[in-house]
Amino acid sequence: MKTFVYIIIGILLLVLETVISPYISLDVLRPELGMPIVLYITFFLGPRSGLVAAIVIGLVEESLSGAPNGSLLFVSVFIYLIAVAMRRKFFVESKYSFAYLSSASVLMQSFLFLALSFFARGETRGALNILFYTVPNAIVTGFVSILLFSFIEYLNDSFPERNQ
Amino acid sequence: MARFYSTLKSGVSSIFGPVLNVASKPVSALGGVFDSYVNLVGVKKENEKLYEKYEKLYVQNQKLVETERENERLRKLLGFIQKKPNTMIAAGVIGEDLKNWFRCIIIDKGRKQNVREKMPVVTPKGIVGQVVEVDLWHAKVMVLNDTNSSIDVNVEGKNTRGLLEGTGQNTVKLKYVIKNDDIEIGDKLVTSGKDGIYPKGIPAGIVITANKNKAGIFADIDVMPYNNFRQLDEVLLIKK
Repeated sequence: MKTFVYIIIGILLLVLETVISPYISLDVLRPELGMPIVLYITFFLGPRSGLVAAIVIGLVEESLSGAPNGSLLFVSVFIYLIAVAMRRKFFVESKYSFAYLSSASVLMQSFLFLALSFFARGETRGALNILFYTVPNAIVTGFVSILLFSFIEYLNDSFPERNQ
Repeated sequence: MARFYSTLKSGVSSIFGPVLNVASKPVSALGGVFDSYVNLVGVKKENEKLYEKYEKLYVQNQKLVETERENERLRKLLGFIQKKPNTMIAAGVIGEDLKNWFRCIIIDKGRKQNVREKMPVVTPKGIVGQVVEVDLWHAKVMVLNDTNSSIDVNVEGKNTRGLLEGTGQNTVKLKYVIKNDDIEIGDKLVTSGKDGIYPKGIPAGIVITANKNKAGIFADIDVMPYNNFRQLDEVLLIKK
């Protein structure tokens, strides 16, 4: 149940970001709202739920973006795999450590996308453009994920009886 | 496998067409109100009544100005369509690419309205880009600023030709123009029609810098497109 609710929240945030963008110029300050949801679900609700979240969020991000087919889904699942490997090594004890994790996932997302375009398509066109936005995106995502973490924790406190 | 994935992605995307349409309406309506609200924060309590009256009038005024601008924009659009009736489809912009790595807009017309891939997208000002992905209810348009975009252009009134390539930023680059070619700041660029996508003679942009002192045989030329893709509300798709 929780997995479903968090995925729905993620989808709504992504749709909202797409729709708001033409009215508020988010250019450099554009947060990545899908990855924090995937990370939260993987770290707190388990790898199986995390995989569902990674696939759904990856597909939704791709549907709302001009990225080549399969690229964002691949990146999302790859980050999920890293998160599964780190689950027992990295302890998320507060919203701040979650923010670091989210920021790191955005950096990783950019580099994975660049690697994918280089190896799969053999091109580096647009690489500078992606690198230009990598650090601002990671910083903004870090701040936004603090709010997101607090919001999800608030939901957990408000509905403690709901199981996974 | 690739076909299955495309079908799956198209299915997922088709769900988002109506969702984006519905979600963009209140956001668009709130846009003007939000702008005016921000300007009024911090007024003293004694002026509350006056403030309320002012706020109402201000919002009304904003709406009137916005309506007037919209009327003018739509009138130009209508005039443009009437020049070539039955060759264009009007569409509204309902979203922007989720990633700032790409310059892509989402429009509210899709396969149901006969939108097809590689259709040129324009406004009365000039070229916007081309359709790159079509779903049932909406389509994605790659704007000419995108790093994957290339358009064959001519300099208006001159015999100079080049490729207009996106940089991901607000300006674009005109490439493969030899230093000896006749080009200078202020020259207007129009599509040449030789790339097989864009019809001939559509305005593309204006030359803002032309550096012929750098090494190599080609000049370094920056171009400002006529359309700011962040301020697009309506666009026209040219039927092939």
